[in-house]
Amino acid sequence: MSLDPRPLVLQEEQPPRPAAPGKKWVKSVRVQNGIDTEVWEEVDIDSGSDGPTWGAREDLRLLNHDLRRIDGPEKVTGRAVFTHDVRLPGMVYAQVLRCPHPWAKIVRIDLAPAQGTPGVLAAVVLEGEEVKWLGRPIVAVAADTPEHAEDGVRAVVVEYDVQRFAVTSEQSQAPDAPKIAGNRDNVRVHETDGELAAAEAALAECDAVVEGTWRVPVQHHACLETHGVVVDYRGGDSATVYASTQGTFTVNNDAARELDLKGAQVTAVVEHMGGGFGGKFGLGLEGDAACKLSKQLGRPVHLLFDRASEFLAAGNRAGGVHVLQAGAKKTGELHAFVARVERHGGVGPGSNQRQPYIYRPAVSYAQVKSVLTNTDSSRAMRAPGHPQMSFAMEGLMDDLAYAIGMDPLEFRVRNVPPDRRADYERQLRLCADLIGWNSHPHRTAPDRSEGELKVGIGFALATWGGGGRPECKVEVRLLPDGSVEVYSGTQDLGTGTRTYVAAIVAEEFGLDLAQVTPHIGRSTYGAANASGGSTTTASLAPAVKHAAWNARKQLFEHVSTLIGVKPENLRCVGGRIQDVNDPDSNWIGFKDACAAVGGKGISAQGEWQRNLASSGVGGAQAAKVRVDTLTGEIEVLHMVGVQDCGLVMNRMATRSQLNGGMIQALSYGLFEERVIDPDLGLVLNANFEDYKIAGCKEIGLVQAVLDDGDNRRGVIGMAEPAVVPGQSAIANAIMNACGARLREMPLTSDKLLMALRGAKRG
Amino acid sequence: MSHDQLPPADAGDVRAAFTRRNLFRGAGALAAGSMVADAARSAAAAPTARLEGTLEIELSINGAAQKVKVEPRTTLLNALRNHCSPPLTGAKLVCDRGSCGACTVHMDGRPVYSCMTLAVDAIGKKVTTVEGLARNGELTEVQRAICEHDGSMCGFCTPGFVMSITACLERKSDATLDEIKHACAGNLCRCGTYPHLFDAALAAGRALRAKGGK
Repeated sequence: MSLDPRPLVLQEEQPPRPAAPGKKWVKSVRVQNGIDTEVWEEVDIDSGSDGPTWGAREDLRLLNHDLRRIDGPEKVTGRAVFTHDVRLPGMVYAQVLRCPHPWAKIVRIDLAPAQGTPGVLAAVVLEGEEVKWLGRPIVAVAADTPEHAEDGVRAVVVEYDVQRFAVTSEQSQAPDAPKIAGNRDNVRVHETDGELAAAEAALAECDAVVEGTWRVPVQHHACLETHGVVVDYRGGDSATVYASTQGTFTVNNDAARELDLKGAQVTAVVEHMGGGFGGKFGLGLEGDAACKLSKQLGRPVHLLFDRASEFLAAGNRAGGVHVLQAGAKKTGELHAFVARVERHGGVGPGSNQRQPYIYRPAVSYAQVKSVLTNTDSSRAMRAPGHPQMSFAMEGLMDDLAYAIGMDPLEFRVRNVPPDRRADYERQLRLCADLIGWNSHPHRTAPDRSEGELKVGIGFALATWGGGGRPECKVEVRLLPDGSVEVYSGTQDLGTGTRTYVAAIVAEEFGLDLAQVTPHIGRSTYGAANASGGSTTTASLAPAVKHAAWNARKQLFEHVSTLIGVKPENLRCVGGRIQDVNDPDSNWIGFKDACAAVGGKGISAQGEWQRNLASSGVGGAQAAKVRVDTLTGEIEVLHMVGVQDCGLVMNRMATRSQLNGGMIQALSYGLFEERVIDPDLGLVLNANFEDYKIAGCKEIGLVQAVLDDGDNRRGVIGMAEPAVVPGQSAIANAIMNACGARLREMPLTSDKLLMALRGAKRG
Repeated sequence: MSHDQLPPADAGDVRAAFTRRNLFRGAGALAAGSMVADAARSAAAAPTARLEGTLEIELSINGAAQKVKVEPRTTLLNALRNHCSPPLTGAKLVCDRGSCGACTVHMDGRPVYSCMTLAVDAIGKKVTTVEGLARNGELTEVQRAICEHDGSMCGFCTPGFVMSITACLERKSDATLDEIKHACAGNLCRCGTYPHLFDAALAAGRALRAKGGK
């Protein structure tokens, strides 16, 4: 089953009621499958005060520094084993047959020709009734080689009764459109906020009013490692499922159900995984199919989607249309706002896209509806809904600023929520310094002068929750030989989880990073949350710290009797445990201390600690572009991202994620779009030649800056906000460069030339 | 059009010829190289051999001879990943049609897409994969620099970039940023590691020059 994105619930301004005695309200983030949900939670005022703390930043040796990934050498030598790379004795390869129609009833499926194809060992039907989107897997075939599996897939005979379909929003809203979800309408109004009449009256009070229709296409996750699993079930009462997933623990229970086993009899393994970006949770249709085949054959089955299946049947980021109208006063106040939003989530409701995004108009009205189509359902994708909302809202903000002759940066500072103004202003001004805004000649109006090559600068903001939750259980073991092992079932998506897990423990014991061995990605280890909504680090890091702290307390009890010092006077420094009052002469080596413990060594557990995590991040980005007004060519010269995220675990890996967010946003803004032929209903670009993502030559100078002005002590995730504002900043830079407002992504040369012609005529 | 929309492939069906691997079946099999021009030249000069069924061929991989059983249509990438012993899974299957570079290997010192190279076309060539670069467990300058500059996130594209950058710096250790971008223009990364990869490539070039490279 594909995952339907659930609604994004934005925080309420105030807690629901006054706090009880001894309690206080804190904002917490709850995330389901990557959907960010902020809620108020009542907690004890003193909770966590007796447990570990991160300590002063200046005292940290490893955390908040640049750390080399400990799995780097495996990755650069090809030794890292991804799910695609799992090779087991007797393993067979499987692929799927996809439905080639946007809507069809299945009249007949004949597997016999496939079963008679050389090398084919098994074929199973996944869907025998009706398919409502092109690409839905209907048959899976297993064979001795991938080539023979492809032959088998081609040999399957399916007779379809093709139905009339609606693949575009326009087709879906036509009076005679086929109803996609039974008797309910294709269009559903999800929410209406504010009074339309009041907002329209407020528009009349404004000194300037702007309006426009912003359109965002459907984007693909385009993970380089496709969705898939290797299911190893050879009969009996245990099985192993290797999965390319963002959640180790989202796989084993579903697989157990398919295999008629108990959850604990199935071990999920996620050693390395090749990108998820929100689209890889649960067993999936591909996992169901692999389980069926493995159960039938009693052999390991390798079913990793081919590239076309990845594009057609593995989800996407919802598209949308945002019709906005807003007015400002000459003083710079965003006064009135009217929004009508359409979400395009295929056969699903689409991730939430609300307006107004970030900025606070005095009076606003917004209506959000979803439009069903016969296309693959959208799934969560890195900051679900936010980049879409940002593209429309940030464009509107610049248009309004220019309409009242104000610097768009100052207009932003003026209209962000007051309680977040100081952070946003600091981040925006740092972006401005780094990208050269202060010496830019066109700060209050776009450059509409004649000229061929024009340079412009634009800005945009982000917001996200990124907090943690009490879901992780971590174990730290100190063995008598001095080795230190950390165990957690969590997964590393390429964010560097494995490295900071080791670093937290090494920091606690005064050891080098290489002296700690992390063990992750296995459902037999301690529970961990799925990596969605930037919640991994803020959920996991506190539990790792707690386990290390507990292990250290136990070790200090032993050392205390060995060298005659009270536990509270012991410190771990440079591989020693020493007396704080006599560090040079009264100490014991860490290894000797572990040996003295003897027996099985020390084992300590850790759980989430509220005081070690925080939530709520912003972030600002700026882009400088050069446009060629004759050819329409758009080149991004420079991007700057300034991101807060509380206490940083690994500065280098965090900059990598911020770079990656900016580059994905650039790619989304300039290149990416699923293209469907509206008459035939066919997806025209389900491959990496025709669905273009940014490559080396499209990347200008990319500058990732961690905002050390954020002095919060807790850990916060930052993957999502990094990807939110880039495309909006680029669109604003294009407007600033030449006065052409592009309201439809991707921002391509043809659209720029058309907009320039329109601007000249207008 | 995706190939599950095509009818079953069999020898008598002309439409079967439109799938890439059938198109190449036989035509380039014993040709001097995988380039179309080379294939055409040798096709004109000598009668074309038609290969069918399962063949046992010998390949030179990372300096050692290895016998593998493949079909004529089996790509070099699939031969490495599925038919070698032990399997060489460093090169990755991502796009399977020469548009992302994750499968890049060196053939006679030149970077090639192993998903667009038939295994039979690698007969008589020296193939080097990402597993064959480090000697005695010691990382190359390129590998070391990528680790130092965090040029790898999920790591799925990394082997391809290692091979492209290595080939670039073997030709020209003082390659400029633009030359490095050009050399890696056929490699895609979805995590967005490019800026750190560029830093790594420039640093590796400096290290190689310090060791007296070209």
